[in-house]
Amino acid sequence: MIFEKRTERIFLAIFFLIALCIPLFLEDNSFFVGKITTILILAVFVMSLDFLVGRVGLVTLGHALFYGLGGYLFVIITPEYEAVNFWIYAVYVMGISALIALVIGAVVLRTSGIYFIMITLAISQMAYYFFFDSLAFGGGDGLFIFMKPETSIFGLSFLNLDNPTHFYYLALLAVLITLLVIKIILRSRFGRIIEASRLNPERTEALGYNIFAFRLISYIIGSTLAAYAGLLFALQYGYVNPQFMTWEMSGTALVMSILGGLGTIYGAILGTITYEGLQYLFEHMSEDWMLFMGGAIILMVLLLRKGLAGYLEKLLEK
Amino acid sequence: MSTELFFVQLINGLQYGLLLFLIASGLTLVFGVMGILNLAHGSMYMVGAYLAWYFVAITGSFTAAAILSAVVALGLGILIERVLIQRLYNRNHLDQVLLTIGMIFVFNSLQSILWGNDPYGVAVPEALSGSVPFTDNSSYPVYRIFAALICIAIAAALYFVVSKTRLGMLIRAGESNREMVEALGVNIKSLYTIVFAIGVMLAAISGIIAAPMRSIVPGMGESVLITCFVVVVIGGMGSIKGAFVGALLVGIVSTFAAVLMPTMSNMIIYIFMILVLLVKPQGLFAK
Repeated sequence: MIFEKRTERIFLAIFFLIALCIPLFLEDNSFFVGKITTILILAVFVMSLDFLVGRVGLVTLGHALFYGLGGYLFVIITPEYEAVNFWIYAVYVMGISALIALVIGAVVLRTSGIYFIMITLAISQMAYYFFFDSLAFGGGDGLFIFMKPETSIFGLSFLNLDNPTHFYYLALLAVLITLLVIKIILRSRFGRIIEASRLNPERTEALGYNIFAFRLISYIIGSTLAAYAGLLFALQYGYVNPQFMTWEMSGTALVMSILGGLGTIYGAILGTITYEGLQYLFEHMSEDWMLFMGGAIILMVLLLRKGLAGYLEKLLEK
Repeated sequence: MSTELFFVQLINGLQYGLLLFLIASGLTLVFGVMGILNLAHGSMYMVGAYLAWYFVAITGSFTAAAILSAVVALGLGILIERVLIQRLYNRNHLDQVLLTIGMIFVFNSLQSILWGNDPYGVAVPEALSGSVPFTDNSSYPVYRIFAALICIAIAAALYFVVSKTRLGMLIRAGESNREMVEALGVNIKSLYTIVFAIGVMLAAISGIIAAPMRSIVPGMGESVLITCFVVVVIGGMGSIKGAFVGALLVGIVSTFAAVLMPTMSNMIIYIFMILVLLVKPQGLFAK
C-alpha cells in the first residue's frame, strides 16, 4: 500500500469521491466548476513543491518559474492558428522544462540552506523580468492561446477542452497522477535515498550515494510536474503572463504546503483547498480580506504544529 | 558616458546603496542573532514611510515626525516579538517564514484600511530643500546628501554598538552560542526582544528617510524586501559588514545598469548575485 497512514487513506477517499461528483451537482454552474478546476491545478503545483521542500529538503522560493514556463513554452512552440494535439505537446513542454530544470538545478544545487532559497528566488526573478521586459513574448501582457488543443489518442477523442466539465476531469486526473507519481517515487529505493539525504546528508554520502545526483533528479521531477500544472492553468484561461512566475506565486504555494502539513503530499491538497476556500470566503465577506487571511495564517501557524494534516492525524490515528 | 554623468551616477548609486544598507542591516542583524528570516521586514520599511507621512501631516515638522515614527516603530517591534515571534523560537524556519508572510498580509491590509491606497509624498524639509552646485550646469539635491550622511552615521553607530558596547558583546555572543550565553546568566529572551525591535526600527528609519525621496505607495515594502535579500545574500547572511559592502555594490550596479542597459536593468542585480554565489556560495563575508 503506497498510502501508509489511515488519515491519508480516509482523506483521499473522501476527496476523490466528492471531487468526482462535483460536476454532477454543478452542471449548470460553469463558474464554480472553473473555480474548482483552478484549485485542482494549483494542488498539482503545490504537491510538486511539497515534494521538493518537505521530502527532498530543497526549500525553493522560485518554483513558480516552472509554473510560468509550462504556459510560455506551450505558446512558444505551438503554431498560432492550429489546434495541436494536447498529449504530444504536453510531453514536449515537460521535456523542455526538464532540460531547463537540469541546467538550473546543476547551478542552484551548488548552494544549500538559506542560500538555496535565495538563488532560486533570484533565478525566478530573472525569468520574470526576462518575460516582463521582452517584446517578443508580449511583455507584461503575456501571450494568448488562440486555439485550444485537441485531445485525441489514436484518433479517439473523448475530451473537449472547451467544455469546463471535461477540463475539470483533466485537472482531477492530473491531481491523481501527480499524487501517484510522487508516492511511488517516495516508496521506491530512490525515494528512500532521497529521504536519507534530507535527514542526514553526510551519512548518506558516506554510504556511497552521490546525493547531488539524487537531488538533481528530484529537482527535475518536481519542476516538470510544476510545468504541467502551469500548462493546464494557461490552457484553462487561454493566456500566460509574467504574473505566473512572481515570487508571490512561489510564496503562496509554500504557504499552502506548510499550512497543509509539510512533506505529507496529501496535505498539499488539503492546504490548497483550505487556502483558496478561505480566500474566497474572506473576499466575499469584506474588502479587507487580506487582514483576515493574514490573521488566519498567523493563527494556524501558532496553533498547528504540523499543519492541517498533522491535526487530522492527531484526531484519527490512535 | 561623460565624466560628469559618471560622477552623478556614482553618487546616486552610493546614496541608493547606503539606503539599502540601512534597510538590510536590520534584516541581517535579526537573522544573524536570532536565526529568523523576517519576510515582513519590507513591511516595516513601508510602515516607517507611512508613519512619517502621517506625522508630518499632523505635526508639520519632519524632525518631530521622524522621531515619533521611530519610537512607534520601536514599540511595534517589541510588541511583535513579544506576541508572535517569541512563540516560534523552537519551531523550524519554515514556520517562521509562514508567520512573517501572514504578517505581510496584515500590514498591507492595515495600511489600506488606515491610509487608503492613494500614493502620497512627503515634502523635503525646508532647511534641506536646496541643491549643491556640482559642476557649472549640474547640481545635487541637499536632501539626498543629508540622507546619505544619516545612513553613514547610523552605520557607524551600529558598528560601534555591536563591536564596542556590552550590548554588542552580548549580541555577538548570542550569535555564536545561545545556550552558553543563557548559562552565563544573561536573559536571552530580552536580548532577542531588543535585537528584533532594533531591526524593526532600522527598517522604519529607512522608510522615514526615503519618504521625501520616493513616493509612498502600497506594495513599496515587498519590492524593497527582495532587493534587500539580494544585498544580504551577496554580503553573507548575518554579517553586517557584508550587508554594507553588498548594499553599496548593489546600489552602484543597479544605478549604472539603469543608465547603460535599460532593458536589462531589472535583471542585472540577480545576475550579479548568482555570479557572486557561484564564486562564493556563502556570500562575500561568510561566517
